[in-house]
Amino acid sequence: MSTKRLAATAVVSASVLVLSACGSGGPGGGGGDFSDGKVVLAVLNDQSGVYKDLSGPNSVKAVEMAVADFQEKYGEEAVVDEIEVVAADHQNKPDIANTKAQELYDREGADIILDVPTSSAALAVATQAKEKKKLFIDIGAGTTELTNGQCNKYTFHWAYDTYQLAQTTGTAVTEGGGKEWQIIYPDYAFGQDMDKSFTRAVEEAGGTVGDHIATPFPNDNFTTFLTKAASAEPDVIGTMQAGGDLINLVKQYNEGGYAADGIELAVGLMFITDIHSLGVEAFEGVQFAEAWYWNHDDENRAWADRFLEETGTRPSFAHAANYSAALQYLEAVQAEGTDDADTIVGNFEGKEINDVFLKNGTIRAEDHRVIHDVYLAKVKSPDQVTEDWDYEEIVSTIPAEEAFMPLDQSACSMGG
Amino acid sequence: MNEILQYTVQGLAAGSFYALAALGLAIIFGVLGVVNFAHGACYMLGAFAAAVLMDLVGLNFWLALIVVPVLMFFFGVLLERLLVSRLTALDPLYNFLLTFGLSLLLVDLVKREYGVSGQPYTRPEILGGQLTLGALRLPTYQVFVLVFSLLVCLGVWLLMTRTRIGMIVRASTEKSELTRALGIDVNRWVTPVFGFGIALAGLAGVLAAPFRAITADMGSSFIIILFAVVVIGGLGSIVGAVVAGFLVGLVEAFGQAYAPTLSQIVIFVLMAVVILIRPAGLFGREENA
Amino acid sequence: MLEVRGLEAFYGDAQALHGVDLVVREGEVVTLVGRNGAGKTTLLRCLMGLHRDVRGSVTLDGTEITGLGPHQRARRGLGWVQDDRGIYASLSVEENLTLPPVTHPDGAWSLAQVYDAFPVLADRRRAPGTTLSGGEQQMLALARVLRTGARVLLLDEPSEGLAPVIVQRIRDIVQQVKANGTTVLLVEQNVRFASSVADRHYVLAEGHVAADLDNEEFTRRQDELLAYLGM
Repeated sequence: MSTKRLAATAVVSASVLVLSACGSGGPGGGGGDFSDGKVVLAVLNDQSGVYKDLSGPNSVKAVEMAVADFQEKYGEEAVVDEIEVVAADHQNKPDIANTKAQELYDREGADIILDVPTSSAALAVATQAKEKKKLFIDIGAGTTELTNGQCNKYTFHWAYDTYQLAQTTGTAVTEGGGKEWQIIYPDYAFGQDMDKSFTRAVEEAGGTVGDHIATPFPNDNFTTFLTKAASAEPDVIGTMQAGGDLINLVKQYNEGGYAADGIELAVGLMFITDIHSLGVEAFEGVQFAEAWYWNHDDENRAWADRFLEETGTRPSFAHAANYSAALQYLEAVQAEGTDDADTIVGNFEGKEINDVFLKNGTIRAEDHRVIHDVYLAKVKSPDQVTEDWDYEEIVSTIPAEEAFMPLDQSACSMGG
Repeated sequence: MNEILQYTVQGLAAGSFYALAALGLAIIFGVLGVVNFAHGACYMLGAFAAAVLMDLVGLNFWLALIVVPVLMFFFGVLLERLLVSRLTALDPLYNFLLTFGLSLLLVDLVKREYGVSGQPYTRPEILGGQLTLGALRLPTYQVFVLVFSLLVCLGVWLLMTRTRIGMIVRASTEKSELTRALGIDVNRWVTPVFGFGIALAGLAGVLAAPFRAITADMGSSFIIILFAVVVIGGLGSIVGAVVAGFLVGLVEAFGQAYAPTLSQIVIFVLMAVVILIRPAGLFGREENA
Repeated sequence: MLEVRGLEAFYGDAQALHGVDLVVREGEVVTLVGRNGAGKTTLLRCLMGLHRDVRGSVTLDGTEITGLGPHQRARRGLGWVQDDRGIYASLSVEENLTLPPVTHPDGAWSLAQVYDAFPVLADRRRAPGTTLSGGEQQMLALARVLRTGARVLLLDEPSEGLAPVIVQRIRDIVQQVKANGTTVLLVEQNVRFASSVADRHYVLAEGHVAADLDNEEFTRRQDELLAYLGM
């Protein structure tokens, strides 16, 4: 019995060896070197929870658009014929993200994982990427850790981070006259990180932060927190809440009539989907950092029109960034003729890119932070809105070099 | 001093949502012995119904306060007839699991249909702005919520104490078996009572619509607090549910003001203390039957 | 009037009643005596339809009521007073009285009659039911079924734990009820009380009827029974 099994195992192993030998020597035509003979892009994100609308299934669509554009551009010239897009739901939980990332890399043969919102989940996937020596481009998560203490050779951070949010909104609002701040933040890693980043940005711009009010998460009642913050009579209440919590806070800020007292609301992290869900009147005049806006210029708008056709909705920055990351990855594959991760990393490092999402973009070699122009946006008043999703006015552009953490502050060392 | 007053009103306003919803939960538990885990989802459905009907047929807030609870009543009747009633003869755990499953199903159906970002809602202009009482300034809407839910609680209290229906509900809440043996067809009251409890959750949802994020998940943490409220008040105690609802709102508000990160933990500490000192809750009765 | 044939009751795997047969004729007062755990209370609960796991038949006035629910049995004239009296704390004394519907107006006591007979209930009519003393609660429980006009009273140890004067009062009521032609099935541990009101006695042991005695024989063998009951 056991000898039989042993024999069978030997036969199987031998044929695997033969097959894999064929695989590496096989595709002579393109002269390329592809694992499984195809390229697999995996989108790992929140397909059903709080970030579903921001990114979710429509980011998978965006990646598919990138694949289609790539294939249309290169046609017969493409170094690889088969490009597959797979998706998985990590439910914003780091343990699930960890397992899913392993599955995607090992079983689904993913060459790259994209998106991964929620900082703790993103850090888990980064660890897997490092271990498996496979690529990971994060778009949805905000933590600067990805390009600081926990940076690694295979991980890139494409769209935004907490430093950049604070640098954009904190600096701009303080310089605009909002000197005295009160900060309300949710008491978990992201919120604490945002609180620190904003405090630094506000103080560097010459402002002061009074109280730092930590709140439970999730929470639907912010009235007392707001009363408390307003009792110090600040110029600005800065909120680091996100998603449903942010909507709760904004509704309750509006009912409290604080704006009439001259207390502005600055929002640390806000997405166009938040404005869409609550309506512009609720957010009117609120300033926030935007990594990309669909109606900013003709190039963006043209792409947004295509996206609308595909999905029936306008894209968020995350959709555009997923498209951009997938497209640039495929361009690198085309240029190098392989999906080998180390080769692609070599191609990426130091590369300057301009596409629909990245304006004046550079993939920094030192920490893999992708820097690009970002924007300070202001929510329009209802009478300025001319069509669906036309919610934002771009107040100013923050150049790539100013928006992101300077390299000399980064704690990243690539090591291996 | 001024702030303390402000925190008090804010706490009572937050407590209004708990009181209304917990009232429904307590009545359902009392008469059916069912711990309705789907109560949070019904609160969410109430808010969604208000938002969706405003969007589709322009149903305004005032009408929603009447129409949505009526719809939720029939939704509750349907649930009870189709599902809950099939399990009442079994261990109460089965209905707990049923309603737990239902709540997941309802939340995911709403997500599927409306996404997760939430719905916009416009409240009537007249409820906007603030009311000024001396040095005290309060959002009009909060004051409205507080007064309105106090009136509803009073109405339910009168219904419970002054009518024969209320007497029967109280009796079957306290001793279901004996009440049957005294010639009252408790089963006849079970379905409308379930519907009524669901309607109260829906009403709390409508009240939340202008003031809170209308998302599929809005009931998920709400139900947890609601259980704490019902346990503090005493399972099945109608007065207890209302008093504990407002009490928890107050504790939450003062927790937020003086120990922000602990504001939700404080509620559960309160619950633990109440259980230790009075296992049946503040207004619960220890029963031996 | 009330006839029980081959009644068996189960609690899960345990059998509490093993084929009970008994008859209570119209206007009779019959007691069930037996040790604790003999199945007396279970038998009354089965008669009320409160126990689900049963076999056998129960007829009232020749009509099978085995499949009926508790409230339907009550409406046909069964009036149950449970052993802990079953007074509602969340109902006032008067609400406790008026909760059950009047099923047989002929023999039903009016509220005025009840208050006349039990002045203490009138005095405390607004008070929560459970604020009454034990004896007063027993009066309330009795008055409650009398008000419905129930034709067969199922009384579960009405004298238990009460002071002698109250027991005397209850004896008076049972006798008065009997005089009005109402049928009574009485669970009783108090042999003296039982023999002073009843016409016949069933001795229940280990879930079946061990003896059916008329009052004369019952009184004669009182000492033997007391020993048997462990008193």
